[in-house]
Amino acid sequence: MNIDLTKLSQLQPLFKLLSAGTHLNRLQDTELWVELESQRELYETLFAACGFTLVLDGRGFAYFKTDQASSYTGKLTRRLALLLMLLFEYQADQGLHLFQFQQWRLDNELIDKLWQHYHAVLEAEELTSQHLLKEIFDSAARIGFLVSEDGEYRLLPAVHRYLDLFEELAQAERSDHLHSEGELL
Amino acid sequence: MSLAHYGFQKLVLLNSAGYSRAELPLDDSVSIIAPNNTGKTSLINALQFLLILDKRHMDFGAHSVENSRRFYFPDNSAYILLEVLLPSGMAVIGCVGKGLSHDYEYFAYQGSLDLEDYRLEDGKLVAQPKLMSRLFACGKPAKIYQQADLRALLYGNRQKQRSDDPDFTIFPLEFNSQAATYQRILTRTLRLDRLDSRQVKDYILEIFKNDLQDRNVDFKSEWDKSFADVNYDKSQYDAVFLNQELIARMEISQQLRRTLRGKIILWRPLIEQGLNEWEAYNRKTTDDLKEHLRALDEKVQDLDTRQKTIYKDQANAEASLKEQQIIEQKFQELTVQFAFVNDLAQLETQRGALQHQRDELVRIIGNAEQQQSPDAIKRNIAKLTKEQTELHGQLASLNDNLYLQLQKLLPANSFELLTRLLAKSVLSLPVAQGNAVVLNDSHSFQSFAAKLEDRLSSNQLQLPGLVLDLSALAPNLTIKTAQELETEIGDCDRQLVDLNQLLKTVETLSQQQQKQHALEREIVDLDKDITHYKDFLSLHRSASARLQLTHELKKKLEALDFEESTLADNKKAIAQAQKSHETKLKELQSQHQRINTARQQRLDQQSPFDFLEQLAFLPCMEAAELTMPTLADRIERYNADCRQLREIDSELNSQLSELHGYGINKFQLQDSSELELNALFAYTLNLSQEQAAIERKARSAVVQVAAILRDLRNSLETLKSRMREFNNKINKRQLSDLKVFKIEPREEEALVKAIQTLISTSEQVDSGNSFDLFDHNAVLDDKALNKAKDTLIKEGEARGGLRVEHLFRLVFIIAKENQTPAEFEDMDSAASNGTVLMAKLITGLAMLNQMQDPRKAIKTACYLDEAASLDQRNQRNLIEIAAGFGFTLIFASPEPQITARYCVPIGTTNGKNYISRLNWQILEPILASNLDERS
Ligand SMILES: Nc1ncnc2c1ncn2[C@@H]1O[C@H](COP(=O)(O)OP(=O)(O)OP(=O)(O)O)[C@@H](O)[C@H]1O
Ligand SMILES: [Mg+2]
Repeated sequence: MNIDLTKLSQLQPLFKLLSAGTHLNRLQDTELWVELESQRELYETLFAACGFTLVLDGRGFAYFKTDQASSYTGKLTRRLALLLMLLFEYQADQGLHLFQFQQWRLDNELIDKLWQHYHAVLEAEELTSQHLLKEIFDSAARIGFLVSEDGEYRLLPAVHRYLDLFEELAQAERSDHLHSEGELL
Repeated sequence: MSLAHYGFQKLVLLNSAGYSRAELPLDDSVSIIAPNNTGKTSLINALQFLLILDKRHMDFGAHSVENSRRFYFPDNSAYILLEVLLPSGMAVIGCVGKGLSHDYEYFAYQGSLDLEDYRLEDGKLVAQPKLMSRLFACGKPAKIYQQADLRALLYGNRQKQRSDDPDFTIFPLEFNSQAATYQRILTRTLRLDRLDSRQVKDYILEIFKNDLQDRNVDFKSEWDKSFADVNYDKSQYDAVFLNQELIARMEISQQLRRTLRGKIILWRPLIEQGLNEWEAYNRKTTDDLKEHLRALDEKVQDLDTRQKTIYKDQANAEASLKEQQIIEQKFQELTVQFAFVNDLAQLETQRGALQHQRDELVRIIGNAEQQQSPDAIKRNIAKLTKEQTELHGQLASLNDNLYLQLQKLLPANSFELLTRLLAKSVLSLPVAQGNAVVLNDSHSFQSFAAKLEDRLSSNQLQLPGLVLDLSALAPNLTIKTAQELETEIGDCDRQLVDLNQLLKTVETLSQQQQKQHALEREIVDLDKDITHYKDFLSLHRSASARLQLTHELKKKLEALDFEESTLADNKKAIAQAQKSHETKLKELQSQHQRINTARQQRLDQQSPFDFLEQLAFLPCMEAAELTMPTLADRIERYNADCRQLREIDSELNSQLSELHGYGINKFQLQDSSELELNALFAYTLNLSQEQAAIERKARSAVVQVAAILRDLRNSLETLKSRMREFNNKINKRQLSDLKVFKIEPREEEALVKAIQTLISTSEQVDSGNSFDLFDHNAVLDDKALNKAKDTLIKEGEARGGLRVEHLFRLVFIIAKENQTPAEFEDMDSAASNGTVLMAKLITGLAMLNQMQDPRKAIKTACYLDEAASLDQRNQRNLIEIAAGFGFTLIFASPEPQITARYCVPIGTTNGKNYISRLNWQILEPILASNLDERS
């Protein structure tokens, strides 16, 4: 298959972003997103040829799927996963709908509350201060999971990846549970 | 169900795709049966030539279109034919090969498909060049169509048809414009390849296009268009607002300018006149002043002369007065000095006494200077003193002294001799108790005296062993009388005084001499006193005259002093007058100079002063009177006013261009800069109203923009409801074991929210009761609104316009029994192969059905290659669902599918595939109820 590279006007910035592990978000990177959407097949093919799997999630984010993460991103991912999980748990306890996470405002107050609430768990992950939480959020913002705006954070669509994962885990847990109940019967 | 009769009847292949002949029934579901690699797929694919028409959309799997043409049209007697029953009657649509080029052409005619029409007597097939005449001969006049024309024909596009064409519409669409979409979906449905949500979305959008007021909204340009005025006004407002201070200053300047103009207009003629009169005035006033000064000079001289005289007189009088005072002083002193002097005689007597004293002293001193030594004098004094004492003793014991006692007691002779023996002093001793001599027994003493007389005889004293001649001895004492004694004592006293005096004089000669001198001085003094006293007397006599004189002198001095003081005042007054005159003169000169200078500096001959009356000015209400003395001031002020006016002119101009620099150009259209300024001031004055006006405009702009967005949103809502209907359509029957199978729109939250924000703002603005909003919640500063706007602009710019399609995406929602529904973007990943296959087919058919005109249902066909992957229940469902959508199903599989009405095995003769109507096996349910039970 011949790919007309001139058609892929945003190839360079796209590749740069994506290959750095950054998540592209529909409304954050509108231009790149539109480009990706309109030339989706071409990009998919091209990136695949280079050994990258482009995932373009209709919920509004795109990324390169990788199996093994670098130790840095691995650590960050783990910590971010923890933080987000706690956040989701906390917000769910507040009666908020998880899928509306894009509307949440992660301001200092909320971060403080998270810290107070989960401080033992966080410290087990060597997250020993609110400041460190913010650092994680900042790092996550650099790879497109959050955006920092007016001194607060907002979750971007890419966070769906985590939310999916959490739901999957929850599902697995539920079915395990059902299973064992069935066995008992 | 009469309509159900219309539709495909059969497909016939002649000399095509490896078939010598194939007849396939299409009026109901068919199961084509043949081993692999026989020609099932080839047969089904033949439909593409008739239904898809456009080569670009045809798909033959691994085979290219080029090869497929060769395969389907090996020569000019290869046919693909479709018999359709239409409301206008039976019709045949065909495609015939043109020969070596493997090209083909379309034709169609009314009438049934009779294979004999295509076969010659010799058993050969009619070749393409002869086809038309052949068909005509068979009483079925056919027509050759260009691919596009045929398409128009099949899709009922009347506009593209010739009026004499029969109605061959087999795809009666609600909207002809959707023909292309229909074809694409049809192609895809026939091919059943990957169907993902984006493709479905595209089709859905196409399908519902006519329900949606979906136009490409260039949000930014709409916004900019609506807000062009507002933004301009706002920019003007902002610039004016920021520069309010400057403008206020300018307004003050402008006011001042108009005032100045009025002032200048008022004063100009007066100044003119004043300047004309000045020379004469100046000359006359100068002369007058000089004359005055001269007169004053003379007066000053007179006063000086008089002053000198006064000084002299004063000096004289003062000297005289002083003299009198000295005399008086002396008189006073003399009066004191001679307070105890009664007259001159007293003094002269005193002087005589002194003179005597001195003379006496001179004598004594003279004596003393001749006298012996002081010791001799002292001896004399002692002798005399003794004598005096004796005398006193004698005087004291004159009555009872020893002498007398002896005289009495003794015989005169003895007494006489004894007085010679006893010392005078002894004799003089008083006899009395306690004295030196005590006579306690005169008898004894007389007896003793008698004896003593014995011893005494004739001037001799005889004592035992001693004889003393007494004759030589004089009696020591003769008793004198008291008077004799007192005289003797008086003499002694005088002598003693003299001697003591003398002694004293001798002993104190120098003192005495000094005393003499003192006396002499005293005399001199007294002489002086006498002279003074004489003066005193004379002064005393002249006292009253002197008093008179003093009085007069004082009066004179007073008069002089007074005159002098008035003289000083006079002089001061004159000096002042001089000074004032000189000042006036100087002032006049300086005025003259100033006026000359000012005259040269006049600006009022140049622009803008030569047309000042034409400009806006405030009439000056000053009482304009010009006197010559004020001319200089006035003309200077006048010049200053002119200068200031010119400065204000240029200042205002530069400030105005500064304002232009800040972008304030709203008023530049005015005829003059002054009118521009006035407009600007008026605007600034009403700034808050302007703000409100801008806000109103902004609101109506929001309303305007929101109207467009409302279309978008409504379209989205419409689409959502259409999708609900669509879901109902595909869910009429359960699909496979799926409990849920839906295609749902998911809104792009942020965009929809942004749109909603704008719309709801506009609704607030639009509704009448939001007047207080005007004051509190300015649209232009609405943060959420601006963010929404930015979001939409960003999106619109990236997408080259906003459309409903940007506001949502589609997801497949699939769940089996006991499963929570899951969302998928790609159907292929959602379920098992067979299920997916079915889902795709149904989705496609539903979409196609959606586009068809429900009033003119014509049953067409679709096919499911490799149908064996579906179980019978699903096959049956599928057949029914497809029938519901107006499609008969063609299954192809190596095994017969008994769910179909027809089973058609493919036979072979002479190495060619062959299907004849005789091979059709028709399956019919024995009992409808049985079937129902089983399902
Ligand atoms: N479009 C085409 N162009 C050229 N040759 C074709 C085309 N379609 C099919 N053929 C050929 O026709 C023959 C029959 O193929 P076809 O796909 O029709 O078999 P089939 O019965 O569908 O087999 P299967 O059960 O494996 O699907 C094959 O040899 C194939 O190469
Ligand atoms: Mg096949």
